[in-house]
Amino acid sequence: MTALALRFAWRELRGGLRGFGVFIACIALGVMAIAGVGSVAASLSDGLARAGRVILGGDLAFALVQREANDSERAFLDARGTLSVAATLPTMARTSDGRTTLVEVKAADGAYPLYGAVATNPEMALPALFARRDGAFGAAADPGLLARLDLKPGDRITIGNAAIELRAVLTSEPDKLAGGIGFGPRLLIGEAALRASGLIQPGSIVRWQYRLRLPEGGASDSAMASVESEARATFPDAGWDIRTRSKASPQLERNVQRFSQFLTLVALTALLVGGVGVANAVASHLTRKSDAIATMKALGATGGGVFAIYCSQIVGVALFATLIGAGIGAALPFAIASALGAVIPLPVAPALYPEAVTMSVAYGLLTALAFALWPLGRARDISVSMLFRDPIADERRWPRRRYVAATAAIVAALAALAILAAYDHRLAMMFVASAAVIFAALRLVALLAIAIARRLPRVRSTLLRLALANIHRPGALTPSVVLSLGLGLSLLVTMIEIDGNLHRQFAATLPEKAPSFFLLDIPAAEADRFDAFVRAQAPRATTQRVPMLRGRIIAANGIKAEELKPAEGSAWVLRGDRGITYATTIPEGSRLVAGQWWAADYAGAPLVSLEERTAEDLNLKIGDSITVNVLGRNVTARIANLRAVDWQSLGINFVLVFSPGAFAGAPHTDIATLTFADGGTPREETALIKALADAFPAVSAVRVKDALEAVDHIVGNLLLGLRSASAVTLAAAALVLGGALAASQRFRIYDAVVLRTLGATRAQLLAAYALEYLLIGLATVLFAVAAGSLAAGLVVTRVMEFPFLWMAAQAAGAAGAALLVTVGLGLAGTFTALGRKPAEVLRNL
Amino acid sequence: MNDTSGLPFAGDAVALRGVNLSLGRGAARVHILRDIDLNIGRGKAVGLLGPSGSGKSTLLMVMTGLERPDSGAVVVAGADLQKLDEDELARFRGRNIGIVFQAFHLIPTMTALENVAVPLELAGERDAFARAEHELAVVGLAPRLHHYPSQLSGGEQQRVAIARALAPKPAIVVADEPTGNLDEATGAEIIELLFRGHRQHGTTLVLVTHDTALTAHCDAVLHLHSGRIEQPTPQMTNKDRAKKA
Repeated sequence: MTALALRFAWRELRGGLRGFGVFIACIALGVMAIAGVGSVAASLSDGLARAGRVILGGDLAFALVQREANDSERAFLDARGTLSVAATLPTMARTSDGRTTLVEVKAADGAYPLYGAVATNPEMALPALFARRDGAFGAAADPGLLARLDLKPGDRITIGNAAIELRAVLTSEPDKLAGGIGFGPRLLIGEAALRASGLIQPGSIVRWQYRLRLPEGGASDSAMASVESEARATFPDAGWDIRTRSKASPQLERNVQRFSQFLTLVALTALLVGGVGVANAVASHLTRKSDAIATMKALGATGGGVFAIYCSQIVGVALFATLIGAGIGAALPFAIASALGAVIPLPVAPALYPEAVTMSVAYGLLTALAFALWPLGRARDISVSMLFRDPIADERRWPRRRYVAATAAIVAALAALAILAAYDHRLAMMFVASAAVIFAALRLVALLAIAIARRLPRVRSTLLRLALANIHRPGALTPSVVLSLGLGLSLLVTMIEIDGNLHRQFAATLPEKAPSFFLLDIPAAEADRFDAFVRAQAPRATTQRVPMLRGRIIAANGIKAEELKPAEGSAWVLRGDRGITYATTIPEGSRLVAGQWWAADYAGAPLVSLEERTAEDLNLKIGDSITVNVLGRNVTARIANLRAVDWQSLGINFVLVFSPGAFAGAPHTDIATLTFADGGTPREETALIKALADAFPAVSAVRVKDALEAVDHIVGNLLLGLRSASAVTLAAAALVLGGALAASQRFRIYDAVVLRTLGATRAQLLAAYALEYLLIGLATVLFAVAAGSLAAGLVVTRVMEFPFLWMAAQAAGAAGAALLVTVGLGLAGTFTALGRKPAEVLRNL
Repeated sequence: MNDTSGLPFAGDAVALRGVNLSLGRGAARVHILRDIDLNIGRGKAVGLLGPSGSGKSTLLMVMTGLERPDSGAVVVAGADLQKLDEDELARFRGRNIGIVFQAFHLIPTMTALENVAVPLELAGERDAFARAEHELAVVGLAPRLHHYPSQLSGGEQQRVAIARALAPKPAIVVADEPTGNLDEATGAEIIELLFRGHRQHGTTLVLVTHDTALTAHCDAVLHLHSGRIEQPTPQMTNKDRAKKA
């Protein structure tokens, strides 16, 4: 039967793919999005891996905070290859006329960069760029810094106590990616300038990076690994963060993976929406073919044979569509590399990624089958008597059990694939569950709309009655429109609400009592002078000042940090170094939830207070021990209590707060917040920062609004990516909607012509159809706004952990636009129906 | 209504003068109606006979305003159809003309009752459903009010179509092969239904048919050949027989 089925299937398809346009477009679009996201993410990961040593700045990198490597550490590194040292720190840049801004200084030695090249405009060799000339050291500045302070090459600024001449614009820094997000624009100076600036004080938050280039012939992966393990073994208490070229930027790689997963899920939504289009297209294809099916059965074809013929047809078309989508998706990294390669700051290594392509093909075929099996199963049971009857009478028939079971199995396979292939299985499970709930709910909305329209008492208005009849009639558009519009709009509302809430969180409003500034690197010895200064300069402002050290969690209960398995939400606590502090009383913004706070005069063995969620995620309780490395010294403290921290307050909050004396003798600086009672005026802020820069050149001021704006900018870029993926979903929804309306066109033309022979005017028909689309649209829109808002609320409060505020205007805007599109698309088709001459249509019926 | 009082045939139910109509383009253009002059008096029943392709159905469409002739005048129930736009034609049909198609042309998404009520509703009749129900009862379909067309037999569908055409009490009823798709017994029922309205309300009836049983009920029979009306052939209708008797 298979060969015969294929022969029959081919015979029917050779006339062309008429009627499959929406099917092919829907599947190709979704598959393209999935293959594209997967391929671009893979090419980014590959690019990161290949450019590993350039991004890292060496084969291995050893990072220390607040201290330089000691002589024996330095000697160890020097002995293993070529060493380059670079220090980074935030500080204030000042112009001679008193303008200031926060910059991220990188001070490099003569060996920098070990790999890649620094590009400046004008082009300059680094020794010449950094050299001291006419009392000033040279520097290359990020264009952002020049713009912010209205400077040009040749102008001078001051950092700390050093005069800096901006000799060039910094256009490219090879190891920029591994550094993560800085506080301000980059200022690249020489090591001598940093030492002359006086910014390196005991305890200053300076990050020292020691990059090692292994000798030629001894730079294999195993040689690299042996240097790493040797360093760990020789200096177990160094507290350095060691990275290798194979994992130059694990954070970035994680973010690429996580973000690509979000995009994949959005693309999968597009595919699911497209699935509705597939179901519609297959159903109307089979309706068109019902005479042929009945005839074949009359001539001896079995039900199974009919199923085999049409199923192979549909699989063939799905394969065709899937390959188109996968082909375009696979080409995306090449397109991005050639079109945007010079613009995007990420290394894209375009290549064909078979895994991503195969995955997208699997998604495409499974989706097509999941949505096609139902109508195919029903076609199996088309009876020969259909030749004498209208197919509408059989509309509500269910397919046989085996087809229902096969559909369920394919849907389960699709869900399993989405979950197993995901980076974050929990998130994928949430997605699958939400998709199932929304599908079921939309189906329910459609059934409800149909039931209500059917049961409404007969209304006076003919137009309304016609519209209502069209909503509940057999073969009505209601289920297709509700599903496609509902899914598309739910996603749109979710995106809009998340977008609005994130924007509000970072840019629109600051929490009440949020500080205006974070002031870093206040020398502990000058704390009193600092307090007096602030009181005199900004009498309306309040400050909160606490000691700040940088430390890395080395172990918990004697288990090494790298062997701990924290929950995803707290994994960041173990990555790299954290700000830590010590205090005599419970810090502001914290609340004790378990255990006892230590006495103000406590002088015993080190105790630590841990943030409660971190404790839960690391599986730690009161009495357990935590070891941190601070300034090359390991300190083990017992957990005395747990705190709940209000992170939203934007105050100074620490995961770890130690008892006084835990770091006795360790040099450190203070960190302070400065809060104006009413938020402060720009003038007040500028005056204070200028005076502060003069009086405390080493202190860096981070304006909270600027920091949040920077985060908002990054979040905005990420959301742009999500919005692009959502646009694919909306396009799929519009395709399905358009397809459903087009499929009903034949019936509408018939209805319109007959009604016109009975006395209906074009205006009446137009009004009736508009009313029908409006009523279906309205029911869908109400549900979609509710579902989208609920989903956004869950994401914002549960995943992002921000308070959720429903953005009514934005949701209403999206709903209004969706209604307009639905009525517009519907009426566009109806105009064609009304434009046909009755006689012309009647002659051909 | 537009003024037709100046026209010599204003008193007729249907009057056509010099009507010509061609369809198709270029080489495929066919001259379907040629110089048709026709008057059908009010309250008359007229049969249109002719071979396939002679233009019978097209002539019906011209009479009902569904097709515009290339030239000539068409006056129906006192209205010059050439002067009405599409919507005015639709309203005019709704009030004055009932059409029964050979293929019934019921709206498949509406029940029998709703199908019959549609022209009444469109004409703004308040008791549309009560009247529709009555009309369906008259044609013997009281038990089938809420059935969809696909749930009715061919004869039942044709009866719904007749009920729909008669429900607004139009001055003129035109029917295109009303018994063409039906068996003899059902055809006889349909003929009876059509002529009952004609007898009781004086409705003008124009029928396209091949069915001699149907033409036998008519006042006059016109023969159409290659788009032209031929001289009426003498034909003994049932009415003539009745008069003789």
